[in-house]
Amino acid sequence: MRWGMVIDLAKCTRCHACVAACRIEHFLPLRVTWPRLIALETDNGYDVDVSTYPVRCNQCKDAPCVDACPTQASYKREDGIVAIDHDKCFGCRYCVIACPYQNRTYLSRKRNPNYFPEHAQTRFEKMGKKLYPHQVGTTEKCNFCHERIDAGREKDLKPGIDRDATPACVNTCQPRALTFGDLDDPNSNVSKLIREKSGFVLHSEYGTEPSVYYIDYKLGGNPSNKAPVEAQTGSHIQHLSTVYAPSKPKLAKKNAD
Amino acid sequence: MNARTPRQWMVTHEWMIKPMAQVEWIEGKGLLVWLAEVFSALGTGLYLVAIFFSQSHPLAAFWGGLLGWIGIAVFKLPLHLAYLGKPWRFWRSFPPFSNAWKTSWFARGIVFTMIFLGFGVVQLVLQGIIAYGATAGAGVDAANWIFMILAGVFCVLTAVYCGFAMSYCKSVPFWNTGLLPFVFLIMGVADGLALIMGVGMVTGQELIGTAESVTRILLIVNALLIITYLINANYQSTTAELSVKELVRGHVAWVFWLGIVLLGILVPLVISVVSYFTEQEASTGLLIFAICCHTVGAFSLKYGVLKVGIYRPILPKAHAY
Repeated sequence: MRWGMVIDLAKCTRCHACVAACRIEHFLPLRVTWPRLIALETDNGYDVDVSTYPVRCNQCKDAPCVDACPTQASYKREDGIVAIDHDKCFGCRYCVIACPYQNRTYLSRKRNPNYFPEHAQTRFEKMGKKLYPHQVGTTEKCNFCHERIDAGREKDLKPGIDRDATPACVNTCQPRALTFGDLDDPNSNVSKLIREKSGFVLHSEYGTEPSVYYIDYKLGGNPSNKAPVEAQTGSHIQHLSTVYAPSKPKLAKKNAD
Repeated sequence: MNARTPRQWMVTHEWMIKPMAQVEWIEGKGLLVWLAEVFSALGTGLYLVAIFFSQSHPLAAFWGGLLGWIGIAVFKLPLHLAYLGKPWRFWRSFPPFSNAWKTSWFARGIVFTMIFLGFGVVQLVLQGIIAYGATAGAGVDAANWIFMILAGVFCVLTAVYCGFAMSYCKSVPFWNTGLLPFVFLIMGVADGLALIMGVGMVTGQELIGTAESVTRILLIVNALLIITYLINANYQSTTAELSVKELVRGHVAWVFWLGIVLLGILVPLVISVVSYFTEQEASTGLLIFAICCHTVGAFSLKYGVLKVGIYRPILPKAHAY
């Protein structure tokens, strides 16, 4: 068994719900984000195309961070998830540098202020410190919500199918751009997607065998990896207006009209 | 980021798209890593050179070895410890608490350093007996040889592990080469030779001539090694090429040209070559100047290499990097 995720870039609407869901699920410190949406600008000569890529820990089969860790705080679980034992981590940050996908974050005091620095901690923060304590001075990253997976499997639930056993970001993704399942099962939803839609991994030349795959119609010869029109709700379009910055004022005006 | 796109919510992740320099090991608290690695190079270099002179110049070898050992035990290790997020968990990287040494160069480095310090202290006691004790017999001499070899081997490993730890990082193509550990080792030994000349001046033992002749060769070898390293990086990938440009023409160019090339290599080499052709040892003032230049070179080399460690972007579109 090896848990994996498929991210359909054509379906991603850049809503950041996955980022928010993860923050809520793990009570993430203010300046730490496990899954990220990163933007890539391509100037097509007319205006600027912005493509977003949801990225998170790739849970590599041959993970450089696990090999690099001097205390074995980073370890590989039997189900393929790369986890961190925060009681063992001594904060050398070697894994942060060794990760070719730059998906690890060192939790320093600077990254862990109160959500409202001039004020006392909110109830959310206080609850978070009890339920999901983050240790300053250690390294953090996405763990595929293994707590949810473990708890769900104890109840005979299937990760990727039953919500209670599925990562929070996958559950919350409105356009269903994220799919979770067993990569070792050829009939799983993720294996089918990878097979049928030519899933690819980032930097396959590193030989790390990531468990996060991407589907991108643009790279596969399809017209665009922009959000599909049907996914562009009013709020989404409004949101896009903050990121879409045409270089030609006339075009901007035309778009605004 | 493009000036036309004021997108505050994405700015924090810009570093994944463009080639951005690593900061963990060179900025803020990361400066401790730089200093620790410099003391590692100077300490191991001095110790290795000291054991080279242990038979011919026992007194200088003792003090040189002791200073090298102190450089590791008193400066390198505490600086590394101070850098850690949870320093009191240091023991977790040691066997038998962890088997990480099987895969992690960092863990191996800690193990090598501790073993070196253990063997080194015994060897220094024996060297001290030989240097100062009139009653030193064949047994002490033999034991000194054994511990010298053991400590020497682990000293070399301590000197190179940092380079291997860095060269393991595929994320930073500039470091991802097998040449790096040897650049650090050779530069460390050359610095050690410069420092032992200082020790020789203080102890009154005449080893300057020998040290200078070896320094001449090592500096030339090191210059060639650095040039090869930079050329290799230049052709390796676009990100590594960018690192080379940063180092040679970018915002750390002054560190490269002034610190590494001029003070670290050229000035000591010129002093050494001039003394060779004039067949006269350099004056004390000039030697002290050369030693200072060497040391500045050691600081500059590690700073430059760490500072221009640039991550390869992760997006397929930016794959050209």
